[in-house]
Formats: sequence, structure tokens, C-alpha cells
Amino acid sequence: MHELGILNAMVHTIEDVVREEGAQEVERIVLEVGELSGVVPRYLEECWPAARYKTSMEATELDVCVVPGIVKCRDCGRVFNAMECDMHCPDCSGQEMEILSGNDLLIKEIICM
Amino acid sequence: MDAFRTIEVKRSIFDNNDRQAEELRKKLKKDKVFLMNLMSSPGSGKTTTLMRTIEALKDEFGIGVMEADIDSDVDAKTIGSTGVKVIQLHTGGMCHLDAEMTSQGLEAMGTENVDLAILENVGNLVCPAEFDTGAVKNVMILSVPEGDDKPLKYPLMFSVCDVVLINKIDVLPYFDFNLERCREAVKKRNPAAKIFPLSARTGEGMEVFTDWLRTEIRSWQEE
Repeated sequence: MHELGILNAMVHTIEDVVREEGAQEVERIVLEVGELSGVVPRYLEECWPAARYKTSMEATELDVCVVPGIVKCRDCGRVFNAMECDMHCPDCSGQEMEILSGNDLLIKEIICM
Repeated sequence: MDAFRTIEVKRSIFDNNDRQAEELRKKLKKDKVFLMNLMSSPGSGKTTTLMRTIEALKDEFGIGVMEADIDSDVDAKTIGSTGVKVIQLHTGGMCHLDAEMTSQGLEAMGTENVDLAILENVGNLVCPAEFDTGAVKNVMILSVPEGDDKPLKYPLMFSVCDVVLINKIDVLPYFDFNLERCREAVKKRNPAAKIFPLSARTGEGMEVFTDWLRTEIRSWQEE
């Protein structure tokens, strides 16, 4: 499953941070998931108990913050929310757009002991 | 009470994988091994394309193939019949390979006397695009029956690949596939991508791809 592999990759990146920072247990992870990243936030939350199994984060909570997918129409320049407008420019119906935000999968912060 | 602290991370989820991929590329450079990551949907003709590629290049280069599949070793057996080094990697249900798995695969296969290592990634247009495997070049196959709109539907895959092979052009007359429209859609996502239309079954157009590959391997080994 797509989301499971992504969470495994996240665990490895957080283990790097924990090592670098000399932190102990990770209490909570705050993720920023872009609406245009192709990842379904609900699936991340549902997969988390399976992904953390037998890792150093078995007791860690996961918070997922959704970052809106904001785009700019390449035809008329209108800036709009891509999901709300079904990936079409509300002014000119253009489908070519530049992504301004909501494309990334970022670890925002971790709360540690 | 224990004190909690908040660490601002602001790192991509893939940061650890991206670093491992960079390390692997450095090692490959030192060892003069060119790693090609081959990606596509299931049924696009990856194995047939590989067979043709191996036939064209096996007298000039040492070749090793890593076949990644969720299960089975059907493809590894087929490729093994060409006489090149081949190993089967099972991803255990995962839909992609990451840099660590690729690195372990190369170690298991052994890269001594290998100039061209080919990773046949899991058939999937989504997840493999997100994980840098450490490959020198990413090649993807889009076959005619899949439709010319795929670059619009899977933008990430088309933006990470260096080469798009449009396979099965021998069946173009039977499908509503517009080669020009497809080319334009790829270029919109990735202006630098090279596009080679071919038919792995008949061999038409194969030499344009194998010529490109030969040049890339030599320049990777020489630089």
C-alpha cells in the first residue's frame, strides 16, 4: 500500500533526527500533507498503527495537518484552490496550472522527551 | 514530570531515502557501475524491452538485472535465459523499491564485472516515482494500449524520468493513441525528457534507445 511505504520512509527520516538531536522517546509527530501530494491523510492515520509496529515509535502519536492545494492558472493567472474547483480554473476552465502550495510531504515537527 | 521538547524538523518525509540514494550513486560512480531504474505499469512490456536491450548490449557490457516483484520469479527466469546475471527481489507486499533495498539488491547480485545494472521496478506508476533508488537514470515505459493521457494522470512519474519509451507502436493502428499529443503531454511535465517510440516485440526503434544507453554508460564510466 502506498501510504504504508511512505510512513516507513518517514520513520527512517525521524530516526535520523532523533539521533542528531540526542532525543529520547518521540511522543508525537506532526506531518504536513499537501492536498496535491497524492497521499490520502485518512489512510496515513489508519496505517500508522501498522507502520509503527516493531519500530522505535510504537507509542508515538501521529498528527496529520492538511496543506491546501493552491495553484495558479497558466492561461489566465487566476489563483485558486485546486481541489475545491475540481482541478479546473473557475474563470477560464484551464487545466494547466502552477502549484503554489500543497505539493509536499513534510515532517513539520516532533515532540520528544 | 519529564520535560517535553518540540523539535522543528521541516524535512521531507523522504529525506533519509534521498540521502541513501545519493550515497549509493557516489559508490556506483566509484565502481563504474551504471544503474538504470526501469519503471512502468504492469503489462507495458518491461521484460520484453529488457530482453531486447540485453541482446543488443551484452557483447559490449557486463550486465546484471534485479527483478523486483511483490512475489514470484517469472520475470527472473525469463531474463535468466539470456545468460546475464539476474536476481529476484521480493518487496514483501511493498509497491516500490527504495534506495536501501536497491543497495542490498546490488550487494546480493554482486557488481564485479557489471557495467550496466538494471533495476526492474515494481509495475506501478505512483509509488516508484516517489522513491529515489540511487539510479543514474530513470527510464519509464508507457505502452500504446494504456493511452496517451497517462502523463496528465501520473504527473510525478513523468517528471522524474529521464527517458520515456513509448512501447508497442506496432499496434498503433488499433488504438486511439496520438503520439504527438502524448509527446506534448510529456514535455509539459518534463521538458528535458527524451522520448523514444519503439516496439520491443518487433524491434522497431530499439536501436535509438540502446544507442542512447550505450552513450550514457560510457560517459558515466569515463567522466
